[in-house]
Amino acid sequence: MTDTALSAMPAAANIPAAPASAASLTAKTRRRRALAYLQALPMALVFLVFFVVPLALTVIVSFWAYNEYEIIPAFTVRNYLDVFEGCLDTADVCTTVRTYLSTLKFCVLTWICTLLIGFTVAYFVAFHVRSRTVQMALFLLCTIPFWTSNVIRMISWIPLLGRNGLVNDTLMGMGIIRTPIEGLLYSDFSVVLAFVHLNTVFMIVPIFNSMARIDRSLIEAAHDCGATGWQTLWNVVVPLAKPGIAIGSIFVVTLVMGDFVTVGVMGGQQIASVGKVIQVQMSALQLPAAAANAVVLLGAVMLMIVAMTRLIDLRKEL
Amino acid sequence: MGDGPRSPAFYALAAFFALFVAFLYGPTLTILVLSFQGPQGGLTFPMNGVSTHWFGKLWAGLGIVDIWGALWRSLRLGLVVMLLTVGIAFFAGLAFRKRFRGEGALFTVAVASLIVPSIVVSLGIGLEFRLLDEAVNWAAARSGWGWLQEHGTLMGLYTSALGAHLTWTLPFGLLIMFAVFNRFDPAYEEAARDLGATGPQTLRHVVVPILGPSLVGVALFGFTLSFDELARTSQAIGGRNTLPLELQGLTTTVTTPEIYALGTLTTGLSLAVIGLALGTSLYLQRRRAKAGLRSG
Amino acid sequence: MTTTIKLSRRTLLQGAGATGLALGAGPITGFPNVIAAEPVTLRYLGTAVNQSGDIARKVKEDLGITIEYIPVVTDEVTKRVVTQPNSFDLLDTEFFSLKKLIPSGNIQGMDARRIKQADNITPVFTKGEVAGKTIGDQGTAPKKVFYLEGQNSKAFAASATEWITLIPTTYNADTLGIRPDLIKRPITSWKELLNPEFKGKASILNIPSIGIMDAAMVIEATGDYTYPDKGNMTKAEIDRTIKLLIEAKRAGQFRAFWQDFNESVNLMASGETVIQSMWSPAVTKVRSQGVACTYQPLKEGYRAWATGFGLPKTLAGRKLDAAYDFINWFLSGWAGAYLNRQGYYSAVPETAKAHMEPYEWAYWMEGKAAEKDIKGPDGGVLEKAGAIRDGGSFEARMGGVACWNAVMDENTYMVRKWNEFIAA
Repeated sequence: MTDTALSAMPAAANIPAAPASAASLTAKTRRRRALAYLQALPMALVFLVFFVVPLALTVIVSFWAYNEYEIIPAFTVRNYLDVFEGCLDTADVCTTVRTYLSTLKFCVLTWICTLLIGFTVAYFVAFHVRSRTVQMALFLLCTIPFWTSNVIRMISWIPLLGRNGLVNDTLMGMGIIRTPIEGLLYSDFSVVLAFVHLNTVFMIVPIFNSMARIDRSLIEAAHDCGATGWQTLWNVVVPLAKPGIAIGSIFVVTLVMGDFVTVGVMGGQQIASVGKVIQVQMSALQLPAAAANAVVLLGAVMLMIVAMTRLIDLRKEL
Repeated sequence: MGDGPRSPAFYALAAFFALFVAFLYGPTLTILVLSFQGPQGGLTFPMNGVSTHWFGKLWAGLGIVDIWGALWRSLRLGLVVMLLTVGIAFFAGLAFRKRFRGEGALFTVAVASLIVPSIVVSLGIGLEFRLLDEAVNWAAARSGWGWLQEHGTLMGLYTSALGAHLTWTLPFGLLIMFAVFNRFDPAYEEAARDLGATGPQTLRHVVVPILGPSLVGVALFGFTLSFDELARTSQAIGGRNTLPLELQGLTTTVTTPEIYALGTLTTGLSLAVIGLALGTSLYLQRRRAKAGLRSG
Repeated sequence: MTTTIKLSRRTLLQGAGATGLALGAGPITGFPNVIAAEPVTLRYLGTAVNQSGDIARKVKEDLGITIEYIPVVTDEVTKRVVTQPNSFDLLDTEFFSLKKLIPSGNIQGMDARRIKQADNITPVFTKGEVAGKTIGDQGTAPKKVFYLEGQNSKAFAASATEWITLIPTTYNADTLGIRPDLIKRPITSWKELLNPEFKGKASILNIPSIGIMDAAMVIEATGDYTYPDKGNMTKAEIDRTIKLLIEAKRAGQFRAFWQDFNESVNLMASGETVIQSMWSPAVTKVRSQGVACTYQPLKEGYRAWATGFGLPKTLAGRKLDAAYDFINWFLSGWAGAYLNRQGYYSAVPETAKAHMEPYEWAYWMEGKAAEKDIKGPDGGVLEKAGAIRDGGSFEARMGGVACWNAVMDENTYMVRKWNEFIAA
């Protein structure tokens, strides 16, 4: 792939330098056009081979049959029937709905926490820190953990939160509690905590980016017109930071919806998530069943995203 | 916002920020401390003496797990992903500045690639390669060609895993390139062209030097996103695991503070890469400024 | 200035391109000539439990064969065999997964004539007997899947043939592990696993096919239901079992589920759980960390498992010879003794015995009180003199087996139900 990318260079060399006559203008445009295709080709190819085709295959295979050790290319809707088995039964919520509800719950909780924290942090750095250098330094401080291993960051909670972990020991040592708090680890709490810990950065960066581009004179104008701090925040900053909020939200929502590692590690393997179901089916070699689940998940996520993208034009906002 | 005295809100927000940073770094620091656990110590507090025992053990190898091999594989893959991401995203960025048919579609696909849940992408790629393998095996059985009989799998570090990583790093790269080109003043290029520079000359001597720091940023993104990538790789890796996958396995297979020593080490490595990238970026900026001064 | 930039850019780009190509293309094409000249390396696919750096070092010393471990979890082993049959040279997997592996056609039968100790393999595998007594064979008992009808046959043979599916590496009988210091009363039955007394402090195995067997042991212990074959349930029986598990889970019985040997060690050692299904060496490991832990024999008997070496169908030539050499070496005693000292059992007890001190043999295999301190493979003291092994002698333990880890006919349905349990 590297040589494809680099081959665009010699191709570019064939363009004649700045033709002056108007007659050659169309030829020039056409060449520019051709060049654009050439330059976009590597990316288009990568996405075709590793994204579009795999997704198409996933959809196709989700309609195939399977046994213990192979997938059989014969059309069936059984995989989907299995996914929604028992969902028409009103007495008890079926597994799929239950799993989605659980995942959705994590999604909403994480979204609220990351939004509040991310917005506050970005707001502080963007508006209350005066020196540009300090601003950059603080911004980097928030983003550096993002570059380090997620798995390591996740497991680093375990010695803190366990039944005999640091938090429980400290609280008991201080006499605040008598018995260890069980719900600190392997619970909804620890899962949300880890999600917030891992994903807040995805809120901070786009919101900070939006805020950095707010014209400071707008704030001063609001101030001069007698708006209180809260009013300025709510009526000026929040609306202008909306694109950042939307981008951050999309990130957080998709990351949580598709997760299977965090829920597994922090939930003690006993909390369901859609990603986990897919992974279990993959490891049991039930690829078509996993594919059907993936298609359903994809649909669910897309529905959520469409609602959010309606609000902004992503390309303009960068 | 002027230069007046700090408002009470500032102090409240500053305190909140400090708390957030503590929350962000706290667990990592715990790991850092625990990795210096004494030889008799366990995975949790209290500290049982202070030593570099576990780093020594790590250096000697984690028994069965080929951790250095995994690290090396992840580094190599990260480098390849980095180079490809910079190259492909840069040219795609150039292409998007001109208009071309299908740009809307390509952009949508790029964004979709970013937001489709990783497990789905991973499953898709795994499926694709499985079907390819089956096709090859079928061909091998039908044709009887010797060179096909040895076929194991097309899946591997530089095929399926590389592809999986690119679906994750390229959208980031492209978005950064958009942001960069949106702020890029075309006047520089026009000036160069007016002075008689050819397209590639303009690219090489004007565009690339000006965008240098941003390209380093794309490279940094490419490398670290790849180096830590887990979800997309999980179903699309061949026989040999990358470091994050190995680490995930280790969380359940290691019962000693070696895992923390490893955590400290990888975190250090990530920090070193960031430092290197920032340094390069600053150096490029300074050199540009200097060059500007000299020619001006 | 312009020239400098030009040069540096060009060199940089060329350098980058060359590096990219070298890195990208090199490993794909490989360097067959270089590899051919080097000593044999065997890629050993299996779970982390059975892989040990000591064994790899010793075999390198003795045979010059390099063992390259690929440690993955049980399900992943099966997956790799089925989907990437040429990604390994030696397979170490559980007997129960043979029901998936053999029909896939990716495993070759092993030639019994090339295995020197083939006739001395314990009758647990060949006949399903311990000391002449037939043991429980519910589930995928090794004797049901030990022989193939032909080298490339996809059918298991009912009686002994010269084609063996897997040469046993380790096997054992699982039961509940408990923390006696935290439970403070005797535990005698599987039903204690779901006793509300241990609410929030119990755990089971999150490998569906094994976890459900543990649950079945509990159900039988409560007297609710007796399965015709716990290792091969009907849909109705799966429903009943999962229903019980879901009820327990919703009542908050479980602290976490474990998937790997060491995970169970961590849960138990850190006090997160006090009662859980456990493997014998895991208990040993918890104890070696100075934490009291008992491998509790129960009146309903044990759930047994066994792993063994298999060969991928395409293995041939030098690598095949090396694989046979390695397996023969493995059965010749050093490795067996090494495993015995960790609390596993080895396939050919006689050869292992020759590599162990008499007092070690008496403690680990005969269920006698330790004459001296019992040391683990790493030299650390596991048990003080005078200790007796939980579960007693080899005969008492393996003789008390009630069922074997299994893959059911209704496996697909079971996995779906298991997901339901996890989601509940």
